[in-house]
Amino acid sequence: MRRLGVLAAVPAVSVLTLAACGGGDEDGGAAGAAGPADSFTWAFENASGGAENPWLVLAEEYTEETGVQIETQPLPPDSYGLTMRTQLQGGNAPALMMFAPGSGQSSSVIPLAEAGYLEPLGEASAALVPEGSESQFGIDGEIYAQPTSLIPVAVTWNAGAAGEAGVEYPEDFDAYLEACRSLADEGRSMAVIAGAVPPNPGLMSMAISATRVYAETPDWNDQRAAGETTFAESEGWQETLQTVVDLNEAGCFQPGAPGAGFDAITQGITQGTSLTAFLPGTAANELMNATPGLELDTRAFPPAEGEPYLLASPNYVLSVNADADEGEKQAALDFLEWMADPENAERVTEIQGGVPITGPGENLNAAYEPVRDLLESGSYAPLPNQGWPNPGVYDALATGAQGLLTGQSDVQSVLEAMDQAYDQ
Amino acid sequence: MTATMGTPQDTTPVVRGAAAGAGGGAPFRSRRPRPLISHGRWWWALPAVLVVVLIHYLATAGGAFYAFTDWTGVGDFDFIGLENFRRIFDDPAMIGSIQNTLFLAFGFLIATNVVGLVLALALNRTLRTRYLLRVLFFMPVVLSPLAVSYVWKFIFDFNGPLNGVLGWIGMEPRLWLADPGLALWAVLVVMAWQTTGMVMVIYLAGLATVPAEIEEAAALDGASTWRRFRHITLPSIRPSVAIASTLMLIQGLRVFDQVMALTGGGPAGATETLATQVYKETFALSNFGFGAALALLLTLIMLVFAVLQQAATKDRS
Repeated sequence: MRRLGVLAAVPAVSVLTLAACGGGDEDGGAAGAAGPADSFTWAFENASGGAENPWLVLAEEYTEETGVQIETQPLPPDSYGLTMRTQLQGGNAPALMMFAPGSGQSSSVIPLAEAGYLEPLGEASAALVPEGSESQFGIDGEIYAQPTSLIPVAVTWNAGAAGEAGVEYPEDFDAYLEACRSLADEGRSMAVIAGAVPPNPGLMSMAISATRVYAETPDWNDQRAAGETTFAESEGWQETLQTVVDLNEAGCFQPGAPGAGFDAITQGITQGTSLTAFLPGTAANELMNATPGLELDTRAFPPAEGEPYLLASPNYVLSVNADADEGEKQAALDFLEWMADPENAERVTEIQGGVPITGPGENLNAAYEPVRDLLESGSYAPLPNQGWPNPGVYDALATGAQGLLTGQSDVQSVLEAMDQAYDQ
Repeated sequence: MTATMGTPQDTTPVVRGAAAGAGGGAPFRSRRPRPLISHGRWWWALPAVLVVVLIHYLATAGGAFYAFTDWTGVGDFDFIGLENFRRIFDDPAMIGSIQNTLFLAFGFLIATNVVGLVLALALNRTLRTRYLLRVLFFMPVVLSPLAVSYVWKFIFDFNGPLNGVLGWIGMEPRLWLADPGLALWAVLVVMAWQTTGMVMVIYLAGLATVPAEIEEAAALDGASTWRRFRHITLPSIRPSVAIASTLMLIQGLRVFDQVMALTGGGPAGATETLATQVYKETFALSNFGFGAALALLLTLIMLVFAVLQQAATKDRS
């Protein structure tokens, strides 16, 4: 009865909410149809919409090697979480799905595992989960999500443009601010952000929190979950958001930054008018692949004091639909096993543009060489919102950071809004 | 004389063969108003009524039920009474969304009706190019709101043509869509720009029913242009006023496309409306229960204002 109610609710709420929000044109997914075991369906986010998406490349290579056909379903990121939830409840979800670890995003894996929609994975998948992060990949001792590669989230440094401008990457925050001022006088900007798109100021704030919060207190999220601290009380989080204000006041961002979209980042970096951007390492790699001659690498955001620290975590995980056709389910599990093989895992990392889940090896992507020491020494924390209980906390951070740029918010009100969202 | 008093549709006596003086001697039966669907035939409409009830009203009622739960889109839920509504009225961001919705709705209502009426009056008679101008003013109506919004987004861009013109006349560029003081006005301009042509057409249809000879008689009697408009034209187009204002109020209250395309509700919630909050809470943050409560509130607001507006524009003559 409860399941019927749940099934009725999606169209019901949708009708009540937005008549204009028509469904997409995805075909119903092949999981409901009886598919042979030598094929399965796979859904994932495809932000760029291009054929160079790493998952598409990987699917093609797998088919070439094994003969197993993969019907891919690349979906736009903004509606991906909702689409997967609806399909899982409707019983027509694909056999294999890409999610985010933890609970802090609309496409997070843990709420779906708790609702019983996902298949527990085997030992090979469990062995890839970073130590101490098990709670973001499973529940009750079972693992429901196989991590792919580590994705550093930090500062993308436009090394080529910096060389032309004669600027070295600043080692501390004061030097960073000084570089901002001198570059602004030359008509360049130290950083380019998509201020009109809240997730980008949000990502910037999280990247800054690596040195201000997690370097000193790696288990800060656990303390927050235990009620031992709050965002509003945390000096580290206060300092993080104050750093955003300082960057803004020092003229670090490009002119018109609060109203800029993602196109501003692409233009600023590829045209060399901006020297840094706050991007996931994979996005920087895609940008570099698409622009011949562009030299980008990844740096830690300069600490106010102390040692540099980084955010790096498997931001994409793969899960198997518990209600999929048995043949397809087995084919999807075989694929995950294939991905877990060290040789194949290395290839996955190479295609995805990340860092091997087991840590940097000899074949580390050149873009990550400047942070090799941090990766080798374990001086990194997972993306903070993976450990938050709902997507509202990150939304409060992202919207609040946007408000700091426009002067609508102050540091304390943003942190209080994050606490309020956390406790919902 | 009696025949001239009837309407062209009034053929009942002829059809029934019961007209007085027909010579048949049949008794005259008093006419009772016929129901819209006669008894014995109503069930023909039953399938359609059932479909409407099941798909429209039952689904809406189902959605309304979830407004009283904490459902997140997956898994179980609890019935939490009016908690979602308490949250709405305790949250300054939600109150801001309600205020923005009302600002846009009434700004849109006033702007489209005033400008649309002025355009209709200007293009009603006499002007030789009026047919061409009517087409030009109506053209934005047929475009997709999203397409129009993206064109205006380019115009409002920091490096866009509007700031280019400002720079050309020596003024500083403005952050049209990222300035909390300007962004809502920018959205209103785009909404009104696209829809004014529709209101103009409604008023043109109304003005076509105003007898020119009455206006000419009033003009000969020395009535000023304003008095002729106030006492002849406006009362004559009252039905058009009622239609145009009702449509624009409802369209303004449910504004979504333009806000999402121009600002996404930003900067920092400065242009969020109830409709964008419903989308964000329900589909982006997976708060289905809370989103349903917001949607229910929006529906109630629209219902109340539509009824009030109908009462305000009712023809009391």
